[in-house]
Amino acid sequence: MAAAAAPVANQAQAVLRGRLCDPAFVHSPLRSSPDTNYSKLKYLVDSSVSEACNNSVLLLGPRGCGKGAVLDMVLEDLKKEHPDAISVIRLNGMLHSDDNCATKEIARQLCLEHQLSFSKMASSDDNTDFMIDMLRECGLAHKTVIFVLEEFDLFAQGKQRLLYSLLDAMQTLTSQAVVIGISCRLDADQLLEKRVRSRFSHRKLLFVPSSLDGIQRLMEHLLMLDKDSSLPKNYVTEYNSRLTSIFGNKKFKGILGSLTDADATTSNILRFLFRVVSDMDMESGLLSMECFTHALSCMQRQPKLDSLQDLSILELYILVCMNRLEDKEQNSYNFNSIMKEYRSIQDAYKTSDKYATTVCFRAFEHLLDRELITFADSKGRNVALEYRPVKLLISSRELAQSLELNTTCPAVLQKLLDRERYM
Amino acid sequence: MSQPVTPRRTTRASTSAPDSPSSPPKSRSKPSPRRQLLAAAAPDSPSSPPKSRPKPSPRRQLLAAAAPVPDSPSSPTKSRPKSSHKRQLPTAAAVPESPSSPTKPRPKSSHKRPPHAADEPTDDNPLAALLESLPGRRAQARDLLRLLAPAPALPVLLHGGAATGKTRALLLALRHLRPTPRLVYAALRSLPSPRALFASILAQLRAALSSSSTSSRQRVPDKPSDFVPALRDALAGVVSQGENVYLVFDNLEVVRGWDKGGQLVSLLLRLHDLLRLPQVVLVYVSSAAPDAYYTMTGSVEPNHVYFPDYTVDEVHGILMRGQPNPKLYSSFLGVVLKPLFRVTRRVDELAAVLEPLFRRYCEPLGSLNGVPDEAIRRRLFEHLQPHLTVALNETFSVPIRASLDDCKDGISGGKGSVKRQFGGRDGLSSELEFHMSVSAKYLLLSAFLASRNPATLDAALFDATGGTDSRNRKRKSSQASIDRKDTMAEELLMKGPGTFPLERLLAIFQCITSVSEDMLDEVECEDTIMGGSGMNALMSDVLLQLSTLCNSNFLSKSRSCPLEGSGRYRSNIDEDLALKVARSVSFPLSKYMYRR
Repeated sequence: MAAAAAPVANQAQAVLRGRLCDPAFVHSPLRSSPDTNYSKLKYLVDSSVSEACNNSVLLLGPRGCGKGAVLDMVLEDLKKEHPDAISVIRLNGMLHSDDNCATKEIARQLCLEHQLSFSKMASSDDNTDFMIDMLRECGLAHKTVIFVLEEFDLFAQGKQRLLYSLLDAMQTLTSQAVVIGISCRLDADQLLEKRVRSRFSHRKLLFVPSSLDGIQRLMEHLLMLDKDSSLPKNYVTEYNSRLTSIFGNKKFKGILGSLTDADATTSNILRFLFRVVSDMDMESGLLSMECFTHALSCMQRQPKLDSLQDLSILELYILVCMNRLEDKEQNSYNFNSIMKEYRSIQDAYKTSDKYATTVCFRAFEHLLDRELITFADSKGRNVALEYRPVKLLISSRELAQSLELNTTCPAVLQKLLDRERYM
Repeated sequence: MSQPVTPRRTTRASTSAPDSPSSPPKSRSKPSPRRQLLAAAAPDSPSSPPKSRPKPSPRRQLLAAAAPVPDSPSSPTKSRPKSSHKRQLPTAAAVPESPSSPTKPRPKSSHKRPPHAADEPTDDNPLAALLESLPGRRAQARDLLRLLAPAPALPVLLHGGAATGKTRALLLALRHLRPTPRLVYAALRSLPSPRALFASILAQLRAALSSSSTSSRQRVPDKPSDFVPALRDALAGVVSQGENVYLVFDNLEVVRGWDKGGQLVSLLLRLHDLLRLPQVVLVYVSSAAPDAYYTMTGSVEPNHVYFPDYTVDEVHGILMRGQPNPKLYSSFLGVVLKPLFRVTRRVDELAAVLEPLFRRYCEPLGSLNGVPDEAIRRRLFEHLQPHLTVALNETFSVPIRASLDDCKDGISGGKGSVKRQFGGRDGLSSELEFHMSVSAKYLLLSAFLASRNPATLDAALFDATGGTDSRNRKRKSSQASIDRKDTMAEELLMKGPGTFPLERLLAIFQCITSVSEDMLDEVECEDTIMGGSGMNALMSDVLLQLSTLCNSNFLSKSRSCPLEGSGRYRSNIDEDLALKVARSVSFPLSKYMYRR
């Protein structure tokens, strides 16, 4: 039985992982429910396609809330409903924020869409003219061109020539186009110049992280296995009943709470579930509470504290010295002043941890590497490292906490840190 | 699926294990850990048969190792059908022979490593072999395998300090996967620009596609807007062959320092969104913690796997691997490891310190094969004790030997550390006599004086009477108030050595050479004959010497001041080194130094 369970578990895990990595599946429940951003956006685009008018809309919301995924679903559905009446041009602010580059990309995609040959040598003006001509032609043929501008805020840097020429072309009666901007900046429309803003229809759709109930429903949607899948029936029933009992558990509610307190976006939930599914017990193919708790602990690591735990005693000494210097309100200090402090400590306490300057400097460099400390100035590349002012990137609370957790840490060190705190 | 592959792999591994194990690290003079890893991953490690092949660069080797190479000549089994043959990994043997590899650098002993019992992989459990080859990284390797395993996977970020086995664990884990995925590996540290990065990635992908498209001369995109479509096309081509692609970006942290690095990092971190290819798994390796990227990330933040530093016990275990005399080495580590561990926790540094120490430790012993008893141990410890305290206080030592090669080694090591101002002192000073002309030494001293002394005191120090007015100077400084002295000292500590123009340097140089002229005549008698006077000979190539000193970073030249026109210099050497140099030409340096 156990031998047979292993492939089943593999199969189930593959199904679940496939779901989590597929944004279309993640957001598919939106299709059936009314009054969502999906239905609003679809109505908007649909009406402008069928009524042959121009439109523009911004999808705003924090990263990882499914703006892009919802838009993809809408476009896919509309393509099915209106075959040959839609052509989609996709631009990304990270790649095409440069105007010339963007017009070139638009021309390239238009050529690709309409089986024209694209000339790489065409100038930016040529491309802009081509785009306007194409818009007119498409309008006459009652074909809607949909421009998707991801990272919309990045297009609003600089002169905004692209946005202007796009939106200006849409003012003519013949054209038939929809501009959809996606941005994680909620004030993206405020970034627009006056001439652009006046041509922009101020439609905005706001995407927000879903509520706790919504997240639980999403989890059920993602993790529950289908009865009529290729997996054995009794396995699916056992798996699902196990999962239902976990979802009903009070502890699970606690996990969910602490997860969403930090970040309730869909992408964070997906990451969490991905870890859970990856932790699946491959013998039985079932998810257990431990999977969820383990995944949560992995998600809630604190990198700074982790890396403080990795320090050698000497490196801790240097951090404590720096902390003392900061508490003395010495506004700027460098390696030499740290060494002075270190020496004075070593002279006062006569510990066995007194090392040569070179060794300390190596420890100092390790700290720089770990980015627990950094140079306070960006310039001064000519000055030797030991003279450049430095500063701590951790708080004294974090340092104290890590000293407490560190079992090998000498008592003197803790005393040094505590002493100056209460003095 | 994995059934037919696994047994063959292990049998091949066990057959090739006896002859290969210790050869890769021995045959190279001094490979850096990373290089070694790549070499270990390479299909033609020195022990493998095909010698005629031109030597590929390390990165290519790695690629070749991880990617299935069509009919590799080293494969002994010809019975399998061609199609599955293509998927075969040429260096499956590298997995079990991993103890000889680098993230756990062993002290290089000249003894043949006896085959370790654990090196032989058990036929039924490749996972155990994998975990065995990653000591102390059990949890991380498991996590990695789980997160990476079947193909659709969210991006993963491996982070942790230097020398914690991130890259190694990742590469071994990827090699462990069945069916073997296509690996595209970009070590960002060795790719100096975005263009080089794009070119490298696309070249690796095109090599994978070479059967279908032979157009090798394709333009390398230099803009991200050209790169992403090209990457998508290439990846789609590979994916359509039914392969999973693992795109690995190693040393992600260095990109932040590049020109417009922030944009590139955010692009790389968002590739998952931009590509939308579920069969492509993105893996990032970074020594910086994930919070270093928070300002640059996109919607998909990768899953993190943290690699903590090794604990004492893990380091002990790692260093013990492959020791010819485990008992002896264990007793040595028992003495040495704890104190060294207080200073640094990095395995590579520890291994470098331990190697000469162990040689010292063994000195009183006749043979290295005996098992030490309690009395011998105590004797050995007493013998080692003084050396240990020395070792604790130096970062690295340069062996003083007469051969030319060693001298060169010492100098290159010295240069590297002079750049950092420290460390080089111990090694460098002993070598200094042989490599610096007298005039260069005087120049160095005058630069040191010009940097340390205030310019206003030059006249007092170097007037006609030479350095005889030290009494006068002392009185002057004692008159200054203690407060001002403190702030001055503080300032010196903060600001470092001062800068000076070339004229001042030359003036001081002339002064101090004229003071010790009598000495010079003895030293430079040959020059005297040739150049008429010792002074002239010394001055003749002073600018040449100056540029040499600048190039070797003893002095640094700041950019020229727009008003004065010429550049200003600064001496980078510290007082200890200056005193040593002065002693070597018997120049009374302390007389000329201004003490506050």
